[in-house]
Amino acid sequence: MANTKAILIDITKCIGCRNCEQACKQIHGFPPETEAKLSTMAFTVVEERGDRFVRRMCMHCQDPACASACLVGALQKTANGPVIYDASKCIGCRYCLVACPFNVPKYEWTKLVPYVKKCDMCAARQAQGQPPACVEACPVQASISGTREEILDEAERRILGDSKYVRHIYGSEEAGGTSVFFISDVPFEKLGFVAAPKQPMPVLTASALSDGPTVILVGGALLSGVYWITQRRAEVALAEAREKSEKERS
Amino acid sequence: MTSTRFPRISLWRTIVALIFAAGVYATYARFALGFQAATNLTDPQPWGLWVGLGTLCGVGLSAGGFAIAASVYLLGFERYRPILRTSVLISFLGYLTVIVGMMYELGLPWRIWHPIVMWNRHSVLFEVSWCVMLYTTVLVFEFSPALVEKIPWVSVRELYLRWHHSILIALVLAGTLLSSMHQSFLGGLYLITKGKLDPLWYSPYLTTMFYLSAIPAGLAVTIMALYLCVRSLNVKVDLSLSTEVSKVMIPLLALYGVFRAVDLINRDATAYLWMWREETLSFWLEIGLMVVAPFVLLNMKKVRNNPQRLYWTCVLIVMGFMANRLNVSITGLQASSGVYYVPKWTEFAATFAVVTAAVVAFRYAVIYLDILPKNPPQPRWMVPSAAAEA
Repeated sequence: MANTKAILIDITKCIGCRNCEQACKQIHGFPPETEAKLSTMAFTVVEERGDRFVRRMCMHCQDPACASACLVGALQKTANGPVIYDASKCIGCRYCLVACPFNVPKYEWTKLVPYVKKCDMCAARQAQGQPPACVEACPVQASISGTREEILDEAERRILGDSKYVRHIYGSEEAGGTSVFFISDVPFEKLGFVAAPKQPMPVLTASALSDGPTVILVGGALLSGVYWITQRRAEVALAEAREKSEKERS
Repeated sequence: MTSTRFPRISLWRTIVALIFAAGVYATYARFALGFQAATNLTDPQPWGLWVGLGTLCGVGLSAGGFAIAASVYLLGFERYRPILRTSVLISFLGYLTVIVGMMYELGLPWRIWHPIVMWNRHSVLFEVSWCVMLYTTVLVFEFSPALVEKIPWVSVRELYLRWHHSILIALVLAGTLLSSMHQSFLGGLYLITKGKLDPLWYSPYLTTMFYLSAIPAGLAVTIMALYLCVRSLNVKVDLSLSTEVSKVMIPLLALYGVFRAVDLINRDATAYLWMWREETLSFWLEIGLMVVAPFVLLNMKKVRNNPQRLYWTCVLIVMGFMANRLNVSITGLQASSGVYYVPKWTEFAATFAVVTAAVVAFRYAVIYLDILPKNPPQPRWMVPSAAAEA
């Protein structure tokens, strides 16, 4: 996954022009009205937090909770980095919405044939070597894109080189690591970032799932054993009863 | 002088008709108008009553079937055989209810078959869906003799019942394992909500807790059904069997209660037990109804031996169980979601209508099939089991 693509969002640089929002809406054919929160027609939004502008979008986790939760595998982490959604598989169970630690996926509640909607990091553009539309639209390079390694190096260089930055790259540990990173001069919790668990989310369910075969094997053996004893007891009881009645007869 | 052309209008029939009428509207709202018209679900609260009550409680309360079947066939507790069919029928109808409810719950219900061909083995929900499919199939076979024995052709009947007898133990074994797996995995669904679900409920042992709580709750439903059958359907069943079952429930409830307590202590979450907030109140309501009150009541002989008191104790257990599942799926996620979800009336209406349909089906099954007192006609070749004689 050396060529995994990533995005860095530097909150100190954002001027709140919302060009990223507009570029995103344009490329998806959504109506241009700006929205306060992520929605089925806003895959990225710029929120105002005090005097800072905080852009929200899918974090594109390295080991995504949504992809592990989806029972039909409609959500997939691609080798290129983006977490993509195959609408043709989706059955509309909405477990991805429950599972996502960042509350990113949105559902088309108003439609009769509803699908899940979320940012796909412009997977098609990235495959052709182009940056995501939102990154390209940023006039001040508050958002930049590149390979995950380059982006992490750049983020580290910036926070080490300037003491105003909080010494944490949001996304480097969250949910076991993501492909979208934030750096900031204001503590992340004050900007509405969630304190996501530090381990990859699928680890939480993996141990329970791996118990399955053990339960089947051990449980199956145990129950079969108990059944054998039950049977044996019944046979013995039957034989004894027969003996008894034969004795009585003779 | 009464006319036989129309069914009599009684209070219960009126209630059932009203529930169905409301259900018809809810169905229209869900499928013709969509989620927004039929539910109060939102992005922060994507699973509501249909999952919390319909799926989690529906499956959990159907646990009596596998518990009783395993007791009779695998553990050899022949004394429970008279209530075997009742409990299997309840499970069967319970799972049908869950599957029908799933059609309302899924956004794209016509794709409900997708998990059969599209696999993601990292998904707990995938495992749950397969277990539910397989176990419902097992239940169809487990229950089938009650229908097949009504076939008028003796040879067909005997052929089927003979075959059924030969696979029965394998069926019960598979059913027990499948049930144990997915009762636990329903709790496992919430393992991924770490950081979202309140510490009173989030635990790495959610799987074990869901399993341990489902068994006494499923048995409670069986006891309730038996009591109602005796009261209103004129069946002759020895209710001392219910007393027997209730004695088994005491250690089961205690085990569950102790497990919950130890888990809270282990996770250092006991501080949450004494906070003045809705989650904590809901927690105590749940524990009081499902563990404390029934444990005290069932330890009293005058409760265990009195069918009516026993019935109401089981009602408490079932209510406490439902409170637990709704707490995990709704109350415990409220704070992190930032929305206060109250189900729309159509959500209740759809669930009630489906459950009522199952109750009506249960009633007619008991009336027209040999579920309770009348012994099922035994095929000639079947040797009565020795344990039953002894």
